[in-house]
Amino acid sequence: MTAVTIPWTDVNDDSATVVEWHVEDRAEVRAGASLVDVETSKSAIEIEAPSDGLVLQLVPVGGEISVGQPIAHVFQDEAALAAFEEERKKEAPSAPEPGDEVRASDKARARARELGVDLSTIAGAGLITIKDVEAAAGAADEAPPTDLPAPLPGDGKSKRLLLIGAGLGATQVLDILAETDGMEGIGIVDDNVAAWGREVEGVPVVGGTDQMQAHWKSQAFDAAVIAISTSVDARARLRELCRATGIPLANVIDQRSKISTGVTMGEGNVICAYTHFGTGTEVGDNNFISAYNSYDHHNVLGSDISTGPGCMTSGEVKIEDRVRLGTGIFIEPKLTLGEGVIVASGSVIVRSVPAGHAVKTKVVTTTVVPIRPR
Amino acid sequence: MIFVRELNESLHRLLETDERVVVLGEDIADPYGGAFKATRGLTTKFPDRVLTTPVSEAGIVGVAAGLALSGYRPIVEIMFGDFVTLTFDQIVNHVTKYGAMYDGKVTCPVIIRTPSGGHRGYGPTHSQSLEKHFLGVPHLTVVAASPYHDPGETLTALLQRDDPVLYVEHKLLYPEHVVRPSGSRVGDAIGHEESTPGWLPSVVLSQVASEDCTVTVLAYGYSALLAARALEELAVEEEVFGELVVPAQIAPMDWAPVESSVERTGSLVTLEEGMADWSWGTEAAAEIGRRRFSQLRRPVQVVASEPTVIPSSRDLERDVLVGSDTMKEAIREAAA
Repeated sequence: MTAVTIPWTDVNDDSATVVEWHVEDRAEVRAGASLVDVETSKSAIEIEAPSDGLVLQLVPVGGEISVGQPIAHVFQDEAALAAFEEERKKEAPSAPEPGDEVRASDKARARARELGVDLSTIAGAGLITIKDVEAAAGAADEAPPTDLPAPLPGDGKSKRLLLIGAGLGATQVLDILAETDGMEGIGIVDDNVAAWGREVEGVPVVGGTDQMQAHWKSQAFDAAVIAISTSVDARARLRELCRATGIPLANVIDQRSKISTGVTMGEGNVICAYTHFGTGTEVGDNNFISAYNSYDHHNVLGSDISTGPGCMTSGEVKIEDRVRLGTGIFIEPKLTLGEGVIVASGSVIVRSVPAGHAVKTKVVTTTVVPIRPR
Repeated sequence: MIFVRELNESLHRLLETDERVVVLGEDIADPYGGAFKATRGLTTKFPDRVLTTPVSEAGIVGVAAGLALSGYRPIVEIMFGDFVTLTFDQIVNHVTKYGAMYDGKVTCPVIIRTPSGGHRGYGPTHSQSLEKHFLGVPHLTVVAASPYHDPGETLTALLQRDDPVLYVEHKLLYPEHVVRPSGSRVGDAIGHEESTPGWLPSVVLSQVASEDCTVTVLAYGYSALLAARALEELAVEEEVFGELVVPAQIAPMDWAPVESSVERTGSLVTLEEGMADWSWGTEAAAEIGRRRFSQLRRPVQVVASEPTVIPSSRDLERDVLVGSDTMKEAIREAAA
């Protein structure tokens, strides 16, 4: 097969128009014979057959052809022509895939395949982006999924706890429960869809927080505990969600902690190992207290507090709701940390901090130097 | 609607409806109908008002100036934008000065149309975008044809004013479809027209809602078409989103549409096919920098062609003129 192309004759034109074919379609032609006349804006060009054979016309009279594109093919025999036509049929564009006609970014298409989202169901003024696909997937998830694991049945004697949050906090809570008689973790809920169906220390993630109510109604658990240590706002929000739906929260207290005489405690607190509450201390609800904390006598702790390891208070300290303490903090007696206060690691607090303020530390510098050779 | 056909039809229409209109230029008579066929059919239909002239650009504009002073509305075609240098004296020292020199008693509304730009392998003296030398000439309006502005509407609007005008038409726009904003769309893109009273409108378009765009791209003429394609590719392939602002009038400039876009995106890239340095983009950078300094998160990026002679070889020409790859690189960087 020989392709016949049109030459570039002048800078004005990138294309030419077919004026007349001198050889019938599929007819025989001799090399050098006049094949076709084309016309550009400046000139008429006569094109000769490049070789002997059968001519297949590709552009009709009046049709436009770009410079360099084939205007015809010349085949040495019928078989070659038939083979070419067969090949051309195969290359014909196949039916478009569903969603092909939709304007979407490549990332959106890939994500839609991952999430099983049909792009044609997403309405939008512009190009569909990954954000749109994820929003659509999120909306679709509102329908209750059917293939989620069920909570564990429990041993029939212990209080069955549902954990909220499948992150590292859940491992801490389950570790405490493993050594706590009369309590066991039977399931976890988490709003991160990616966590669904996974297990944490053998306990299944049974869905999102929107599934809690259903499990509560079917009496799959006896109380919940919020296993999120990093965000006091999330703790407060989830506590409110449980309160509104009538789900009680349980205290999960490591058996190595010391709860002194006269300590009162609300519900939903997670108390990690070696923590000490001095005499007469009042603890509110839903606090996450890390290991090696010591709240000395007659402290008052509010609710939804989260602390790092190694926080120490002296007597009669008041810590209000949603306070967040870093690691290794010392607090002088009779001081108050107001609502929502955030304290940086390593702080030594010698005066009260009003609500909504942060405490920065002066010196938390770690200078790393190479060891000097001896 | 193909640009050159629409231009040709609107010249026919203007000659029909406005008896003050006359058309002058080299080789514009039938059957040739002009180097780019914009004037095809005009001499046949209006033999007395369409003049094919000798090869003297300064002469043509001089004659047009006289006609304009006498109440006509001459529309001049300069066959290639590269030859517009020969009209420079007429424009700078005569056409644009009469109004002031005669204390506002006369006007000299000459419209000079000229095909310009490269990417065709026409070499050093038939490929340039020389309009930058006319930006800032007092009392001259410089207008650029774009893929988003109807040449007929533009010429009609210009005939309602008394300003001298240089109207540059990039050669590669002639075979393109003109896409006008309609509803809240410009073709496949989201877009609209923004017009400040007294100015020709700018067209603003993007692939996603403008709140999601992180860069404003300012471009005119054929560069606007290349920019729109570059932005579409960046959106589809990389989810890099920019908002394109395409003015029709490039000097003096209505900065309002650029300012309101930059307010949303916080970043600006200018694209032009003209040579770099002392250019349209540097003026835009100075103006937007001054007006919107606090809203810009990075310096304005000015993209223009290499300041050198345009080679005839298409491969070498590609290295000199601003192309898609250069545009995409600059947009990507400015969008970050």
